[in-house]
Amino acid sequence: MNQPISVGAAPTPFRFDPATTALVLIDMQRDFVEPGGFGETLGNDVSILQAVVPPLKAVLADARERGLKVIHTREGHLPDLSDCPPAKLRRGDPSMRIGDPGPKGRILVRGEYGHDIIDELAPLPDELVIDKPGKGSFHATGLHDSLVEAGITSLIVTGVTTEVCVHTTVREANDRGYECLVLSDCVGSYFPEFQRVALDMISAQGGIFGWVAPSSSYLSALAPADSPTTA
Amino acid sequence: MVDTSTEDLPQPSTQMSDSARWSVGPVAATPYSWPYDGSVDTRHLAVICIDWQVDFCGRGGYVDRMGYDIALTRAGLPATARLLAHARGTGMTVIHTREGHAPDLGDLPANKRWRSAQIGAEIGAEGPCGRILVRGEPGWEIVPEVAPVASEFVVDKPGKGAFYATNLDLLLRTNEITHIVLTGITTDVCVHTTMREANDRGYECLILSDATGATDPANHTAALRMVTMQGGVFGAVAETDDVIAATYRSEDA
Repeated sequence: MNQPISVGAAPTPFRFDPATTALVLIDMQRDFVEPGGFGETLGNDVSILQAVVPPLKAVLADARERGLKVIHTREGHLPDLSDCPPAKLRRGDPSMRIGDPGPKGRILVRGEYGHDIIDELAPLPDELVIDKPGKGSFHATGLHDSLVEAGITSLIVTGVTTEVCVHTTVREANDRGYECLVLSDCVGSYFPEFQRVALDMISAQGGIFGWVAPSSSYLSALAPADSPTTA
Repeated sequence: MVDTSTEDLPQPSTQMSDSARWSVGPVAATPYSWPYDGSVDTRHLAVICIDWQVDFCGRGGYVDRMGYDIALTRAGLPATARLLAHARGTGMTVIHTREGHAPDLGDLPANKRWRSAQIGAEIGAEGPCGRILVRGEPGWEIVPEVAPVASEFVVDKPGKGAFYATNLDLLLRTNEITHIVLTGITTDVCVHTTMREANDRGYECLILSDATGATDPANHTAALRMVTMQGGVFGAVAETDDVIAATYRSEDA
């Protein structure tokens, strides 16, 4: 049995056992993160999300080396949009709707180039990829069953965007009893104000949704632990 | 007028005639006129009142006795009472939620218990109004100003979201509800979590800025603004009177 790791975090140290912990990368998809994608066509500055990639790449490499379970999620819909609620499809007056042809293929449709995860963080064949029709990663997916099956009780949460899909997933996970550590520099929002407020909301009231720490604290807490390459 | 006395439970202020049919919309809302599909027959519309419980917003409840200012969590009560009277008179479905746990705490996740203890309010411990967040205790009850009347649904939930581990989705689908108006506390925690869950399930949601509230006013404002981004990522925001003003008698059967 591994020694529990303790990470300096808000509002209290976050303790976890790597054997029962998964790294979750939320919606690091080309359409949200890359220049020329759907997110940018909506008028968003994607450079803010690009800043998430280098630290997240380091966290992902570390997790793979240690054998942590790695889970990727993608938001998207079936090509016939049969799993897209009318309220989501038809709401408001955007320049482009889900299913429309976009710069990187049909917007938010599974199998399209823009729907897939960016090359820097591409999943390995043995890593779980959860396709989700909503903002949360638990609703209408097999994530909870997969976590139970794997004996996972703690989640290291990363990805985009902080106040939408990351927050919804953390709220779902918290209600289900999972302990979540959100890595502050590995989550990103198009809106700096929401980045700050959303992180504060997670650790408020004694950590009402979970814990928050920079990836440097997380990685340095892991470093002194037994590495898989030493006896 | 709505009876807001604490002596009696509120009663429907208007008796709906069997033949009357009502619709709502378009409501003047941000960032779009709600709902997305123009209007909704009140038979398909639910008002969901989140966690208006004594321990959170009642005089003598937990938050009050700990010396915090309950004015912030009570701020949305008058508007909610007004909305309830309106909803009861126009055929809307009304659903109330309560956060709480079984007396043996068998449905309380270990980390939730631990964290509540860290801030001095351990779930299950004796509080000023009975055991904190335990079903059946006085502090867990809904405050009289917005208490349920007979025939209204009450959903007991163990988490922040009203969908997880409850029958809410079944109630909504069985009663052919497609549109939801949200009131309650707190805006950024339980109301937002429920709105996110409802939105992912395809319900068209409207959150009322004057019928919600948070312990931190900045979080109330930020949570409402989050809803309005990206064309209404979780739905739309309006005030109670906007809903009342947009309700009209659509036809007589």
